[in-house]
Order: sequence, then C-alpha cells, then structure tokens
Amino acid sequence: MPDCLHIRNFSIIAHIDHGKSTLADRFLEHTGTVQQREMGEQMLDDMALERQRGITIKARAVAMNYTHAGQEFELNLIDTPGHVDFHYEVSRSLACCEGAVLLVDAFQGVEAQTVANFYAAMQHNLMIVPVLNKVDLMHARPDEVIREMEQSLGIDPDDVLRVSGKTGLGIEDLIAAIIKRVPPPKGDPLAPLQAMVFDSHYDDYRGAITYMRLMNGTLRKGQKVKFLRSGRSHEALELGQFVPQRKPCDLLQAGQVGYLICNIKELGQVHIGDTVGVPSSTVADAVPGYQAPKRMVYCGLYPSDGQNFDELRDALTKLSINDPSFEFEPESSDALGFGFRCGFLGLLHMEIIQQRLEGESDLDLVQTAPNVTYHVRTTNGELLEIHNPQKVPEAGFIDEFLQPVVRVNFVLPVEVIGPVMKLCTDRRGVYVRTEYLSPTRAMLVYDLALAEVIYDMHDKLKSVTRGYGTMDYELLGYYPADLVRMDILVNGQKVDALSIICDRRDAEFRGRAVVKKLKQEISRHMFEVALQAAIGSRVVARETISAMRKNVTAKCYGGDITRKRKLWAKQREGKKRMKSIGSVDIPQKAFLAVLETGTENK
Amino acid sequence: MVPRAAYVHVPFCAHRCGYCNFTLVAGRDDLIEPYLAALQRELSVIDPPCEVDTLFFGGGTPTQLPPEQLTRLFELVLARFPLAAGAEVSVEANPADVDAARLDVLSHFGVTRLSIGAQSFDAAKLATLDRNHVPADIVRAVELARGRKLAVSLDLIFAAPGETLAGWQADLVAALALAPDHISTYGLTFEQGTQFYGRRARGELRSADDELELAMYVAAIERLTAAGFEHYEVSNFARPGCRCRHNEVYWTGGSFHAVGPGAARYIDGRREVNHRSTINYIRRVLDGESAVAEVEQLGPEDAARERLVFGLRRLEGIDLAEFHRQTGFDAESLGGAELAHHIAGQRLVIEGNRLRLTREGLLVSDAIWPDLLRE
Repeated sequence: MPDCLHIRNFSIIAHIDHGKSTLADRFLEHTGTVQQREMGEQMLDDMALERQRGITIKARAVAMNYTHAGQEFELNLIDTPGHVDFHYEVSRSLACCEGAVLLVDAFQGVEAQTVANFYAAMQHNLMIVPVLNKVDLMHARPDEVIREMEQSLGIDPDDVLRVSGKTGLGIEDLIAAIIKRVPPPKGDPLAPLQAMVFDSHYDDYRGAITYMRLMNGTLRKGQKVKFLRSGRSHEALELGQFVPQRKPCDLLQAGQVGYLICNIKELGQVHIGDTVGVPSSTVADAVPGYQAPKRMVYCGLYPSDGQNFDELRDALTKLSINDPSFEFEPESSDALGFGFRCGFLGLLHMEIIQQRLEGESDLDLVQTAPNVTYHVRTTNGELLEIHNPQKVPEAGFIDEFLQPVVRVNFVLPVEVIGPVMKLCTDRRGVYVRTEYLSPTRAMLVYDLALAEVIYDMHDKLKSVTRGYGTMDYELLGYYPADLVRMDILVNGQKVDALSIICDRRDAEFRGRAVVKKLKQEISRHMFEVALQAAIGSRVVARETISAMRKNVTAKCYGGDITRKRKLWAKQREGKKRMKSIGSVDIPQKAFLAVLETGTENK
Repeated sequence: MVPRAAYVHVPFCAHRCGYCNFTLVAGRDDLIEPYLAALQRELSVIDPPCEVDTLFFGGGTPTQLPPEQLTRLFELVLARFPLAAGAEVSVEANPADVDAARLDVLSHFGVTRLSIGAQSFDAAKLATLDRNHVPADIVRAVELARGRKLAVSLDLIFAAPGETLAGWQADLVAALALAPDHISTYGLTFEQGTQFYGRRARGELRSADDELELAMYVAAIERLTAAGFEHYEVSNFARPGCRCRHNEVYWTGGSFHAVGPGAARYIDGRREVNHRSTINYIRRVLDGESAVAEVEQLGPEDAARERLVFGLRRLEGIDLAEFHRQTGFDAESLGGAELAHHIAGQRLVIEGNRLRLTREGLLVSDAIWPDLLRE
C-alpha cells in the first residue's frame, strides 16, 4: 500500500487531436502496465463511438506502478473528456488531481480548448507540466509554439518538455518530471472516509461502477458506505483500481484513485461530484463543488411512423442508464404525434446520443431542430424554464424573456480576426477583448447568445478560418433579450414542430430562410401550397409551391411494368413516412429546415 | 392462361444513341450468330409450339440483322410461335436500315406492322438526339413499307434539348403528312447510366422546362386527335382499328411469352426477366443455364393493383365489371380512400361502368399511381 508521498494523481489536458490518447498509451506501455503486444489502438478510448469520432467522451482512470530512483510510485492517470459539452465532468476529474500534463501540438499550437483547459486546471490549483507533443513532425514549429504558450498562458519556456507520443521520445523524462513536479496528494488515511465520485459507468453484470478519488480515510471491502448527496447507503461489494481492466483489492486509502461496486442497478443513482462517506455519526463533509448536470440543449425525438413510441422509450431508457446527464420526457406534437423532449449537455452530446440511438436500436426517427433552454418571467412573477418553443406563453403574459449567454474564446490566425469579429457582431456578440498569443495567432473573446453558438458557429468558424480557428465557451448566465416565437404555417395550418424562438430583429430574415428551405424540401402537390412564417398573427415571410402540372411517364411496355410498379409502390411507402399536415406531405428532413438555414445569407 | 402473345428481343444496333438505356450491344454484329444459337436454345422449351395472335420483334434494332440472318431469326421464332389467322406481327426498325431486301424478308414471314424509330423530321434535332439517320431515311422507309402493305407506326421524341414548341409542331405536321397508321410520342428522359445523363450532370445538356414539355405533350394530343387518331394510351395514338394489339396485351394484364436478353414475360401471375447483358445471356443459355435473372410471383391483390394502374394508363380506362371478373377485386374498394380522393379532385372519373383518367389526371398521373399500389 503506497503512502501518499508515493502517489501522483494527474490528468492530461489538451485540445482535441493534440495526441492525448496516444500519449496515454505510451504511459501505459512505458510503465509496463500494458505490454506492447496487448496494446489496442488507444486503450483509454474504449467506446466504439469515441474511437470513431476521435473524442474522449467518458473519463477513465488508470493506476500505473513505476519505479523511479529506486522508489515505487503509484501514478494515477485520470483521463478527461475534451469537449466543451462536458465541462462539468472535466472539472470533477481535475478535482481529483494534483497535477496536469498540458499537452500542446507542436504544429497546431495553442488552441481554444488548450486555453480553457489550462484555466480550469489553474482554478483547481493543479501543478501544470507543460508538454510539447509531436515534436518529430516535419512541420513542427516548437519554438514558436513555446512562445505562444509563454504569451497566452504565462508558461516558463524552460519548463516545457518535448515529447512524441507516437515514437515514445521523451516519455521517460516526462514521467520523471511528473513525479518531481506534481505534489503528492494530501489526505489522512485515519480520518473519516471522504471520497469524491468523478465518473461512473454501467456494467450489465455488476451494475453501476463508481469511479472515485479518496480524499481522506480508508475504504475497505465489505464496509458500509453512504453517498452523501443522494443519501443512499450501500455495502462496498468490490473495490479496486483500473490497470486498465478492473483489478479488485481489499482496501483503498487517502490519495488513491479507484472504483467501487455496490450493487446499484441504476446509474442515475450515482451522481458525479457526490461524496462517498460512512453512514455513521462521524460523517465527513461532502466534497464541495457538486452540481446537477445542466442540460443546455433540447430537441424533440419522434418515431417516424408514429407507431414505435414504446420502443423509443425503451431505447431512451437504456441510454439514460449509461448516461444520466441525458434526460427525456414524453411530449406530443400535432405534426409528429407522440414522442419525447430530450435534454442534452450540448450539441455534441445530442449528436452522440442520436448516433447511439440509431446504432443500438432499429428505430427510424424524426428529430426537431434543437433549441437552448430559455427562461420566461411571467407578468405574475413566475419564472418558467422553457425547453420547447410551444411552451412560450402568449406575449401579453411575458414580463421578461431570458436566454443563456456564453463567453466564447476563439483562438485563430491574426489574419482572420476581422471575419470572425464580423461573424460575432452579425450574431449580436458583445466584444470582450483580444489577446495576441504570438505575432501570428490571437485569442478573441466575445459574449454571445448560446442559441447563436449552437446553431452553426462551429461550422462557420471552421469555414471562415479554413479550419485553423478553434473555440470554447463557458456559460455566463441568463440575460433578458427581445425574443419571439416564430411559427411556420403550411396552407394556413401551424406546424408546431417547426416553431422556433429567435431574436425579434432576426425573425424576418430567419422566416424567409425557413420557408425557402421548406419550399425545396416539400415536393409539388396537386394543389398550391402556401408556406408562411408568422409572429403571432403577423406574417413575416411567404413562399408558394405551385401545383404540380406535369408528371407522366411516357414509356410503359412489357419490361417496364415490374420496374414501374415497384418504383411507384416505393413512392407510396415514402409518402406514408412523411407527416401529413392539412393534406400537405412534409418529409422528415424538412423538420430540420429551421436549423440548417438560420444564417445562410447573414 | 396460355399466352397468345410473344416478344422477341433483338439486341443489336449500329450505334448506341446518347439517351438510350435499352438492352443492346452496338457494333457487335459478330455476336449475331451466337445470339441466334442461344435464342434457338431458349425457344426449344416452348414445346409444343405456342400459337400466337400477336408477335413483336423489338430491340435494339431487329433490322440491324442482314437479310440472311433475319430470315433465320424468323424461321426459328415462327417454329415455336406459329401465327394464328389474322395475327399481328410488329417489327421495330431504324429508318437508316430499312431496305428492299430486308422488307422482302419481313413480308415473306407475314409481318404486318413496321414500327419506325423516326424520332424527328428535323436534321438538327436528330443530330442532338445522337441518331444516325436523316429525315429523308424516314420518308423512304415509310414508302418501302407501304409498298409491301405494312401498317406503319412512327416513334417521335419531344422535349429534346433546345427544342421549341414550334419545332415540335413541325415534327407533328411532318409525321401526319406521311399518313402513318399509328404514332407513339415520348418525352425525352435522362435515364441513369446513359451518356445524356452524364452530360446533363456536367451541365452540357439541359432538360426542357416542365411547362414547355407539358405544352408539347398537350400539343401532340390535340393535333393527333384532330387528325383522327385515337389517343388510346398515355403515349400512343392510332387510327381507328390500328392500335397495337400486342402492347394492349401488356396493359390489360394479359400473359405473354418473351425471349432474348432482357426480355420480360408474364405467365400464370409470374413475372420473369432474362439476363440483360447480351454476352451473359448468350453464355448462360449456351451453357444450358437458365436465361432468367429475376422472378416475381404476384399475389392476387398485387396483380389486381397492377392491373388497375396499367389499365388506367389506357385512356378509355377500365371496365369495372370486367375488372372484377378478371381479378376478383372490386376496383373502387381496392383504391379505397385514395381513389375516392382522386375522383373528388377530378383526376379520375367514373362514367357508366368505366373508371378512367381525366385530362388533368392524365397530366399528373404518375402522382396518382403510388396511391393505388402497395409495397
């Protein structure tokens, strides 16, 4: 059992694609935790989807034993998710560490998430070990990037280590630096148990597996424990560490990182940020900083044929067992029938859940355009949380309409500062500051409505900066804005699933874009179809799909009969899958029209 | 029901036109002999021979075969499909190939009808369509056919790239001037896999505007019916008594034999299609394997629905009582709410005992058929 002096708990923080997973693999290899031949590609990303997207979604923790200068050390590498949607999970992982390896790509340089993660690590008082990765790359520009790190983050160039996660160059020095620079954890094994939950996952055979860092005290197998926030008590059936597979042990003590299995059948009962203590009178305090997950983005999910409501509920339930940060509740729409309103941490989180739904169940889904959570203060003083544009009260009952605003950090080449500033001012962003990281790169800070950011900011930024700009954001809070609900009418009939909330000044232009897009998506009918965007009873945009005039196949002889019949029968099936509103057939794709257009001509 | 109709596919052409996606080989006359051998082999299963009322040689271009090989084609086909008294025998022809020697062969074997791929009487339009004949070839072919008492049908294409309504009117006038017995008109389509499809995708060709194509179609209907032709199917017009009886078999759910590459047959509710590749067809048949590539056995309801749709493409529509007798289904209940909806929209109409398309319905008929079918 190592004492605290021989334990080092650290994370690797990096912008996406800067080589975090590869570096982690080298650690596992160099410390002999995993033999080279057992090495799959990138051990820590074990979900297929993560590998596919190259994004580490769920944090994991690995214990590595390593002899340095004749002494045995236990090195706990706590992996963190790299995306802005998972800020809270990142912060919980960092709270378990005393140090962080700040990894910067020697070609890409400092990026938005580098800055965001760096500040997050500083907030947790972590010792930063700055590392330049991919120094073996032909196009590496190590000296410039080190200058960027000095300029933007105040890092001493002499502290920066140079490694290659790919070849293993400099790994030994890096491990030595971690042992030397990162302070050992503090904590008293004899004090009352206090362990912070920083992650969990669901195992089909064992139930919830809780990941925790012991801040104080000692945890023994078979002991009674209590989750202080949820108030539930359990028996510690198994505890151990990841090496990287689960390796049970009899006790864990202050400073260590490991896992706990308690026969918990629902992952929803394990809250990230909760504290594990003992159910006795000498209860230790809960570790500070716990937050319930905040769902910032909502969308409707509907079975496309209106039939598979129960199947969809089962599939969503299954997913939420593994990911309690995702929530859903039944809702109904005139246009789409019965479905669910689903809440996500962010847009990426939404995409991941959707892909899992498609991958793991055989459901054909219609998704409505996502929206952020709004707040409405009504004239009688009530504060409503709005997840669905349909729930916006009549204008006369609204005292104040508030929307979430985020502070966005852009890191980009200086020559595109202008276009990106335009992008932000077009979206009514409020300029905060510019910092020059180097003669060629700058960090631009704006406050923007989250709604503007989630719609297409990321794509626009990529195109304006030709892929060289990155962004990250944090929630500032809710601020009043001049917001309205815009409805879409098809032949005079409101399509509830197409309503959006937008700034009053954008309504006309967005309305035009939406009806134009709908005109492309809805095919001609036997009659004229009117498409209108309206605020209340005021029409702000209109398009007309003229009636079908000609649709007739000339040739139809012996050999054509089967082919034609099959073609027409297939069209019938396609038509059946469309949603019929006022006898206008609306294809499923059209329900995303409000998302895809918003800013095209801005 | 024993078929009384047969189709023979002759997959040879001098050249493949840019819009064509039919089963054919261009410039491979070396395959004619193996083709004849394979055809004979495929026909050998028609035993005993099956007497037919209609026989149709399509392609490709049957008249691409030189007289001697054309003779052998007829000998081996007629050995298995002997003609009933008064049988209709149609042969498709390219105006460029029609000559006295070939027509002698056709007359000798009892051909009654020559279907000429005229397409247009405008040299520039023919060039645009990538055809290898000139307007004079059409006139000559018609005269030669007339000399042998063959009924003449002309195929015309409209909505070619760059074509005007006036140009199309001129084509109709020129066609009528030759006093054919039958005219088929087709709006040009850009089928996947054709040269035109690729050229349009690259922006080299433009398809005609919808409104123009509509005007051309309506112009054809008006001009031809005014000249005494019956508009009896979406794209077919005939002088009274001169309809293509063979094609009527297809549209009225009749059964028919078919031989040759890509040929489709319908016997006992079973639809079969032969291998489309000519080379593949020849190899398989000569190796003693089946020529059939696809088989589909239709259930009674699907057969009835199909019968309904293709029957309605005939302008006189379907006789409700006869439909019921033939299929065992009531057309109106089969069509259900959708059919009622189209009747209410005046796209279909019931008059007496017949259900048929209205003019408005005809023009948008492809949007009606999906409602009457099921997957």
